[in-house]
Amino acid sequence: MTALPQDTDLHRSPALPPRWLMLGWQLLGLLLILAVWYVATDVLKLYPAYVFPSPRAVWTEISYGLWGSGPQDGKLLASIAGSLRRVVTGYLAAVVLGGFIGLLMGLWLPLRATLGSYLTGVQSVPSIAFVPFAILFLGLNERAVLFVVILESFIPVALAVSGALLNVPPTLRVAGRTLGASGLGLMLRVLLPAALPNVLSGLRTAWSFAWRALVGGELLISGSKSLGEQLEVGRNTANVALVLATILIIGLIGGCFDGLLRLIESRIRRDYGLEVAQ
Amino acid sequence: MRFTLLLASLLLTSATSAQGAATLRLGYFPNLTHAAALVGVGRGTFQKALGSTRLDVRTFSSGTTLSEAFAAGQLDIAYIGPGPAISAASRGMPVQFLAGAANAGAVLVARKDSGIKLARDLNGKTVAVPSLGNTQDISLRHLLSASNLKTKENGGGVTIVSVPPADIVAAFAGKRADAALVPEPWGAALEAQGNPVIGDEKTVWRGGNYPSALVIVNTKFAQANPGVVSAFVKVHNDATGFLNKSPAAAQAAVNAELEKLTGSKLDPRVLQRAWSRTHFTAALDINALKEYAALNVEAGYARTIPDFSALIRP
Repeated sequence: MTALPQDTDLHRSPALPPRWLMLGWQLLGLLLILAVWYVATDVLKLYPAYVFPSPRAVWTEISYGLWGSGPQDGKLLASIAGSLRRVVTGYLAAVVLGGFIGLLMGLWLPLRATLGSYLTGVQSVPSIAFVPFAILFLGLNERAVLFVVILESFIPVALAVSGALLNVPPTLRVAGRTLGASGLGLMLRVLLPAALPNVLSGLRTAWSFAWRALVGGELLISGSKSLGEQLEVGRNTANVALVLATILIIGLIGGCFDGLLRLIESRIRRDYGLEVAQ
Repeated sequence: MRFTLLLASLLLTSATSAQGAATLRLGYFPNLTHAAALVGVGRGTFQKALGSTRLDVRTFSSGTTLSEAFAAGQLDIAYIGPGPAISAASRGMPVQFLAGAANAGAVLVARKDSGIKLARDLNGKTVAVPSLGNTQDISLRHLLSASNLKTKENGGGVTIVSVPPADIVAAFAGKRADAALVPEPWGAALEAQGNPVIGDEKTVWRGGNYPSALVIVNTKFAQANPGVVSAFVKVHNDATGFLNKSPAAAQAAVNAELEKLTGSKLDPRVLQRAWSRTHFTAALDINALKEYAALNVEAGYARTIPDFSALIRP
């Protein structure tokens, strides 16, 4: 009997760079972008500052938002918190709703054939197109924003869950049945765990949809502490630096959460033996 | 040889047309405070005075979009509220103020079943303005602080929401707003539907003696085409005089132009009432503008007051 290869040999291929090197490159890339931005605005002055502000002007707006003392200052953290609260509420509702509908679609062909294809159609409509409709039904308030967020993000969850259930290898199903599982037990203890890795990528897509839908909705529905409102105020007061600062923050938060979900996803995929660890 | 001839003839023609620029790009809103533009465009007096310079008009629905077009260099002269005009100036846009266009012309209207009778009843209510940071928003914030009220984000009870004036009727019907500070003729239109005016144009600010629309010019355009600009200002002054001297004819002209631009005509009585609350003047009140810039800072929408001596075009 041949000896099994060492655990480390299997999981760590020598070609993969160490983590600190990756981080170094990423940092260098960031510095390069900042340098190009600085040269284009402050040195070469390719555009006037009221069209394309310098990194310093954008940082000034961020610092005002964090610790300024003016009447509109110091609202950045509250805006971020307000937006996050909204997106997390909407996202969780979407996961529950999408999970349930996806489960039904995965189990029952008629529902999959009808609702499934409609959902794919609805998904192709940009979330911002639903905002006027949501305002009419629910008013200029948070419910309209949540409606758009839930509508946008439950669809990827539902489609991923139903798709993942269908993609569970038949052998697992048969094995589960042979071992005595049936009905709900088969669903909860065999099919769902087997579908989990594919469901997770749907959850990640749903997150990015939710975040995009949220910012779109907040842009049109003001009157609450939100990043969309900040964007709108920046636009209304010809403050491009504030607009750019808000865009950067939206991108940063979206990217951070995406990275977090990706980490969870790849950990679970690794536990399932679907990918090797890095 | 032919090329030089062509060049020479081109130079000659451009030198002979005293006006200079080939086109003048004018921006304004289909609002009552922009009546001088409506009348000047509608009666063709701008084009007549400009001669060979073609007048290219664009209408906007808010100062934000107009200011963006101005920043992008797509407008030469524009009618705009003092809020976006001062914001543009303090951000370093190449803008100068040519003349005044209208004073006052905004009212605070309460929804008929809201029970609001005075400005101080607004505590705990939602008040709509056309957009955050615009002229009405800034005067509302000032009005609130004068009534010892605070907005929700500053720990008070008043919520300010932005609703385009055309949608306020629907917002009132759906009880999404309890009151609104709107420019005319929207105020008179809401009033005609039974919503009481709880703050007329005089209570909004400075006893009604405040600018609500100005004429601005792109500084570079003004430097390159002084003749065009002064011809434009002359017609603007004449149009303003016409608005004041023959209100009946002017109202008909404004209404015809509004119908052309928005697809619907105003009830003449609504227009008349709105007219009585708007004062057309081509004079620039620098003190009012300075106070306005200070209010803009007070509201937190700007950090600096621009240098007005360089802003006013002599």
